[in-house]
Amino acid sequence: MISIDSSAMQTEAVDLVNLPEQDTALEIRNLDLRYGEKQALFDVSMKIPKKKVTAFIGPSGCGKSTLLRCINRMNDLVDTCKINGEILLHGQNIYDKNVDVASLRRNVGMVFQRPNPFPKSIYENVVYGLRLQGVNNRRELDEAAERSLRGAAIWDEVKDRLHDNAFGLSGGQQQRLVIARAIAIEPEVLLLDEPTSALDPISTLTIEELITDLKEQYTVVIVTHNMQQAARVSDQTAFMYMGELVEYADTNTIFTTPKKRKTEDYITGRYG
Amino acid sequence: MEKMNLNKHISGQFNAELEDIRNRVLAMGGLVERQLEQSLDALTSLDAELAQQVIDGDHRVNGMEVSIDEECTRIIAKRQPAASDLRMIIAISKTIADLERIGDACVRIAKAALEKRVNTQQPLLVSIESMGRHATRMLHSTLDALARMDAEQAIELHKEDAKLDKEYESIIRQLMTYMMEDPRSIPGVLDVLWAARAVERVGDRCKNICEYVIYYVKGKDVRHTTYEDMEKDL
Repeated sequence: MISIDSSAMQTEAVDLVNLPEQDTALEIRNLDLRYGEKQALFDVSMKIPKKKVTAFIGPSGCGKSTLLRCINRMNDLVDTCKINGEILLHGQNIYDKNVDVASLRRNVGMVFQRPNPFPKSIYENVVYGLRLQGVNNRRELDEAAERSLRGAAIWDEVKDRLHDNAFGLSGGQQQRLVIARAIAIEPEVLLLDEPTSALDPISTLTIEELITDLKEQYTVVIVTHNMQQAARVSDQTAFMYMGELVEYADTNTIFTTPKKRKTEDYITGRYG
Repeated sequence: MEKMNLNKHISGQFNAELEDIRNRVLAMGGLVERQLEQSLDALTSLDAELAQQVIDGDHRVNGMEVSIDEECTRIIAKRQPAASDLRMIIAISKTIADLERIGDACVRIAKAALEKRVNTQQPLLVSIESMGRHATRMLHSTLDALARMDAEQAIELHKEDAKLDKEYESIIRQLMTYMMEDPRSIPGVLDVLWAARAVERVGDRCKNICEYVIYYVKGKDVRHTTYEDMEKDL
């Protein structure tokens, strides 16, 4: 008898409003953000579930990258940036005065649009974060390098040239190397800011496949301009428009029966 | 349709493709409607020529189904439609399958008209004619609801099918009486029975199309739900 496994076809929708504490990786509460006079985020509240992929979509300038950057306090680097509201990680507001930003960023890794390997060997790129943490044991570093490169689905391609310069890799490989570097220090949350927008379609699919594997261990938050990518890789999708969170629901709902007109117009490619 | 905002895509070409496919479905609906009318006319007036015309016309209905389906596939591949666009393509793809089956029902009715045995059952043809008119009206209104993407009308029509089923049952009872009274009438009665069955199926197909219209407009799949649940849901 043939049994049909429906789990591969459909992921169980999570109740994002009443998400239990133990399933919540991050909770954003009433977040406002201003760059000088200009307000970029308006009262954003959402819960991001653990070990799932959450996508932020929206037109350019809608605040999705800004929101992503808030999660590991990248916006601290912008002088004019003022933030109100809270982002809770393990129940603690990451904007509290006593939070150590460096340790926050160890927990919340980030990968950017353009692959940015350091001008070092592949191996040194991956173990860079561990060396910063003071790990110098060769065996430990070797193990971490292999584990991370495997985790980022690039091990087979680079295992024979670990000590070559990372710039010799293709764009897609560099991006996976950067992901390997991010997961080497075993963060809980991985932020991906348009990770495939500079890559060719095949490398894009490899990264998308990787994202699906990554959620076994990490909570992934991804910003993407490619709506179909959000539809393919994410479990829930947040649509943002002009600094507001318009709609946040499981991806199946957003892409088949969105509740808000603005979401509908955006994902079907209509004028807003 | 204005409220569904069909022609506001940034891609003008995509607009044109969706508009084109919608027009072709409506044209196919118009053709099927004419086939149904003519097959019923052929049956009630036992017009063999008209019946043959309906049978010959079925390949056009089939051809339209295939070409619209191809276009749906092409749009999905090229445009990756989402949300209401996706629902529209899916609704259209299913609608044309049901329209094609209504076309087959018309052929069945027309074939009954060609059977010489039916001649002896003239009184029966009167009741099937009334049922047939009812089915034609239902198809017409269904196509209307489809053209205007009117979910309210689709819900009303959805209820209409039950009435058609009742008429069918009463025809069956009538036919059974004939068969019991005179076994020699059985071959002719069976021809009428198949025709009545075909008309009843037209109602079921219309009901399906109404469900696709509701799916497109409301985003709710109402197949296999009771009418009460449907109203509660929407």
